[in-house]
Amino acid sequence: MTAPLSKAWFEDYEVAMALPSVELGPMDRYDYIPIALILRDTNPLHLDRVYAQERGLPDVVQQGPLNQAYLYRYFTSLLHDPWDLVATKMRFAANVFPEDTLTCGGEVLALAPEEAGGGIVTCAVWQRNQKGEAILKGEAKARIPSRR
Amino acid sequence: MTVDRTALIGRPLRAANYTVSEVDVNDFLGVVAEPNFAPADGSGGSAEEVTGRLVPPSFAPFVAVLGLLKTFDWQDDFLFDYRTGTAMFGEQSIDFHRPLLVGQSVAISAAISDVYEKQGKQTFDVVEVTFDIKSREEGDLLMSGQQSYILFK
Repeated sequence: MTAPLSKAWFEDYEVAMALPSVELGPMDRYDYIPIALILRDTNPLHLDRVYAQERGLPDVVQQGPLNQAYLYRYFTSLLHDPWDLVATKMRFAANVFPEDTLTCGGEVLALAPEEAGGGIVTCAVWQRNQKGEAILKGEAKARIPSRR
Repeated sequence: MTVDRTALIGRPLRAANYTVSEVDVNDFLGVVAEPNFAPADGSGGSAEEVTGRLVPPSFAPFVAVLGLLKTFDWQDDFLFDYRTGTAMFGEQSIDFHRPLLVGQSVAISAAISDVYEKQGKQTFDVVEVTFDIKSREEGDLLMSGQQSYILFK
């Protein structure tokens, strides 16, 4: 069973329900320049293909916080208000490279109703590349309102 | 020479500040298009002014990473030579207490909460840092959590 793409109510969620997966990409190496500026991180691993290849990598490496941002955007797009996000826990499993296509998805792990209505939904969330390799693995919790 | 970092457990890191600037948020939204958070045209005031405009939660990992990088020195606090060594971000966990606002100035406090060695293809230390991020103006807790750093030996 798969949850609706967005704006589900607390009553709509069930444990073990798959969240709808979303594909994005291909990743664009030119996006790494503004991200490097925001992060104040001019590590050539993210910007210089020759430098990266000299270190055994196929291409420059997409910045980790950008991978996280795509997974956050995916999960919060399912919420009535993006700031209904309560908590996240994420672990980096592999690198992303230019032209990669990413898929984000998840599964409901736990439901905790609240007295005031609605409740906290805890989900496993993940991001994979086009080869099915895990990029990010973790959990996200959000406060989901009741339909009533 | 093998470095023993376990003595770092409990070490407080220096306090730091970061301003969630409109320029950073607009640049971010130029890459990670967020349907509910359109970039501003810059006409709402100075770049550092608190506008009341919400920052998307997807920018939160950037605030944590940027803020925390200001709280430590790789050599002095982690006993790690960043010029010759290899470091990676490990697990990050964040509890969200209040939304972030464009122009908001935040104060970051952090401490090393754990250090342990792990063995993969290589041996590495995991340094866990626990942090709080508060509004500088009101002192409200905005985000708290943990960030781990992987330092290869």
